[in-house]
Amino acid sequence: MQTVTLTIDGSPVRTAKGSSVLDAALEWGICIPHLCHVPSLKDTGACRICIVENVRNGESKVTASCTLTAQEGMVIRTNTEKIQKFRRNIAELLVAQAPNSKAIQDVAVRCGVKEVRYPFRNDNCIQCGRCVRYCTEMWRANALGFVGRGKNRRVEFPFATRPDFCKNCGSCTLYCPMSVTPCGGPMKRGEESLCGKCESQTVTAPGMIGACTRCDLGKGFQCTRHML
Amino acid sequence: MRKLEHFEELETLRKKVVAQRGKIRSTVIICGGSGCQATRCLSVIDAVKKEIVKQGLDHEVLLRTTGCHGFCEQGPLMVVEPDNFFYCHLTAADAQEIVSSTLKNGKVVDRLLYTDPLTGKKIKTEAEIPFYSAQYRQLLKYNKLLDPCSIEDYIAAGGYKALAKTLTGISPKAVIEEIKSSGLRGRGGGGFPTGRKWAEARSVPEDEKYVVCNADEGDPGAYMDRCVLEANPHLVIEGMMIGAWALGARQGYVYVRKEYPLAVKHVKLAVKQAREMGILGENILGSSFCFDVEVARGGGAFVCGESTALMASLEGKVGEPRPKDIHTVKEGLWNKPTVLNNVETWANVPSIILNGSGWFASKGTRGSKGTKIFALTGQVKNTGLVEIAMGTMLHDIIFKIGGGPKNGKAIKAVQAGGPSGGCLPVSKFDIPVDFDTLYKMGSMMGSGGMVVMDEGTCMVDLAKYFLKFLQDESCGKCVPCRVGVDRMLEIVTDIAEGRGSREQISLLQELAETVAETSLCALGKTAPNPVLSTMRYFADEYAAHVDEKRCPAGVCKELIHYDILADKCTGCGVCLRSCPHDAIKGEKKTVHAIDEQICRKCGICVTECKFDAIAVV
Repeated sequence: MQTVTLTIDGSPVRTAKGSSVLDAALEWGICIPHLCHVPSLKDTGACRICIVENVRNGESKVTASCTLTAQEGMVIRTNTEKIQKFRRNIAELLVAQAPNSKAIQDVAVRCGVKEVRYPFRNDNCIQCGRCVRYCTEMWRANALGFVGRGKNRRVEFPFATRPDFCKNCGSCTLYCPMSVTPCGGPMKRGEESLCGKCESQTVTAPGMIGACTRCDLGKGFQCTRHML
Repeated sequence: MRKLEHFEELETLRKKVVAQRGKIRSTVIICGGSGCQATRCLSVIDAVKKEIVKQGLDHEVLLRTTGCHGFCEQGPLMVVEPDNFFYCHLTAADAQEIVSSTLKNGKVVDRLLYTDPLTGKKIKTEAEIPFYSAQYRQLLKYNKLLDPCSIEDYIAAGGYKALAKTLTGISPKAVIEEIKSSGLRGRGGGGFPTGRKWAEARSVPEDEKYVVCNADEGDPGAYMDRCVLEANPHLVIEGMMIGAWALGARQGYVYVRKEYPLAVKHVKLAVKQAREMGILGENILGSSFCFDVEVARGGGAFVCGESTALMASLEGKVGEPRPKDIHTVKEGLWNKPTVLNNVETWANVPSIILNGSGWFASKGTRGSKGTKIFALTGQVKNTGLVEIAMGTMLHDIIFKIGGGPKNGKAIKAVQAGGPSGGCLPVSKFDIPVDFDTLYKMGSMMGSGGMVVMDEGTCMVDLAKYFLKFLQDESCGKCVPCRVGVDRMLEIVTDIAEGRGSREQISLLQELAETVAETSLCALGKTAPNPVLSTMRYFADEYAAHVDEKRCPAGVCKELIHYDILADKCTGCGVCLRSCPHDAIKGEKKTVHAIDEQICRKCGICVTECKFDAIAVV
């Protein structure tokens, strides 16, 4: 197997050539929170939770680690203050959009969201595209797809009717981060809040920030480490 | 049309066409661009054509319908050679007089001449008009010289000379070196050095490569690419051919918006003519070079102007961008090395090859060479297409070429670079316009839209407008752009409607920075620019909206109300009759009053009142 060696958070990491930075980090127990990533599916970089800093010639560029192919000599920082801030802001946007999901609440906790500064919206979908990609790439069924643009983009059957080639396999539901409600049960419209009860889960040993502890939060946001 | 088998035949054809044109005594050039078509230039063209025949001048006078001349404000417009008389605001009724006095007797028709708004004097020729004389028209000068539907016109004007020169003696490597040393940078917005892009694509060991022309211009108020493609499609094709030669590409695509019907028509026709002449196709002009161009129509999504989204759209997929960690010069269209350049970039290529990189680099600033076309719109006297050498002062563009404010209100700011660009206040107008300076000031070159705003524009409202545009046009793939821009719009709407707070302003700032850094493509990365730049330069306006719940420009409807000034109102009743909501009450000859409960703040009464008796408070 051809390998490349890159530096993630100061430690040299060897990984198979062609694998993504996110996979390389997770393989080595470095936790990069992620949401739309599903092992064995092609990454699209939609949720932007897994952002990292890619340092090149002294300049750092923020980019999603799932779509970034690991290359020899690459220097990646996953947990800088800047990244933590951006990740927190994105998780805050997500939880304000769709608070009615254990996965999203867990991601918010994991990314350090302490308060939500936007009015809650209680959507049923955050358009991570897991269902669409699983249906398209794994089963080659193409029974689901995105329709519309921008704010009006949504997941839909072709022409809004369930086609014959949908075999009711249920993979879309299985991989949907919205399918499990928060521990306290579904939140009613107008009563949404940030859960934050699992905050203790994120505590790690000093100097170990960013290391994966196989926390229970991972189950909530369907972390790859729990699915491996 | 006979197929040209050799380079020499091109030269022979050129000489033949020029010789034919020698018999013509006078040429009438009428702009048939989209701007002038909107002011009914087609009826003028028709009338002039008939009149020429009627008065028996059709053997000595040539009528040429061209693309945009740039001064769209004054359309329909006409230039009569050889005296170069410039006539504007024409109607079909003027045809008879133009033909009988100017074409027959060489006399100028005074009433049709352009009047300088500053001096009030009539100006005879185009060259004397300040709008034109302050420009440096390197690309746009061709527009007047040729009919976009005629390949002969293009060849007579020196067209395809650069191609012949390239194919007969410049190696692909030398072409790239020439472009590199010219310092040409992408005119589409990013400003990436074109030569470097080509060199990178060339270095990829692949047999199949593509060149793409991005004509999916979608910024509100920008139409440079549209006009270049409408007026001179062969120039763009020639540029693409030279690019293809340098890369070793055999296929090119022009991706043009469906909303530009004239551009689509002209470029399709140009491709057809070039194929018939043997300029496109197999063994071009007898050489071993084979290249063809296909025209693809875009569906009008703003995001499809982004290179990866455009390529997805070309492939027949949903027009959504993909991460650019691997550049399109390595893996672009159908995962093959692809060079995508904007219309204006391609159009610059032939003249660089023909005149040399030194000629091109002699204009401009250290980091930005050559000229740039801007679409000057908004609250200035002269609106239209403006081509300037890089490094021209922003102040000169707006006050010299643009002629200053239109409605007597002082100019406040300019939005450069469309929705992705930023807003620059009038106090910062003393800067040279080039890629790096604009970027440093928090704006950007973009593709070249320049919307001028006066005191009647509210900056919060402006930010709201652009956010609304971007919210509609975001593809919705990534969270920061889809949700972030939506939330920014929510906050700005709150501020504009008087619900804003100080915390929201700092949240807006933080959110804008997050969206700018973490979005997937350039649309999201630049989406916060209008917000960030207006917050940077017009913080006091945001503060007035938030702290005092007041809109200084009198635009934000929730924060203003209309008042009738008792000392000015004569009780004429015009406002009362014009109000669509019956919100104004009052007897004749007595002071009227506005019922605030009913008033919808449409502002019709303000424009209708002849005594300035209605004030916005």
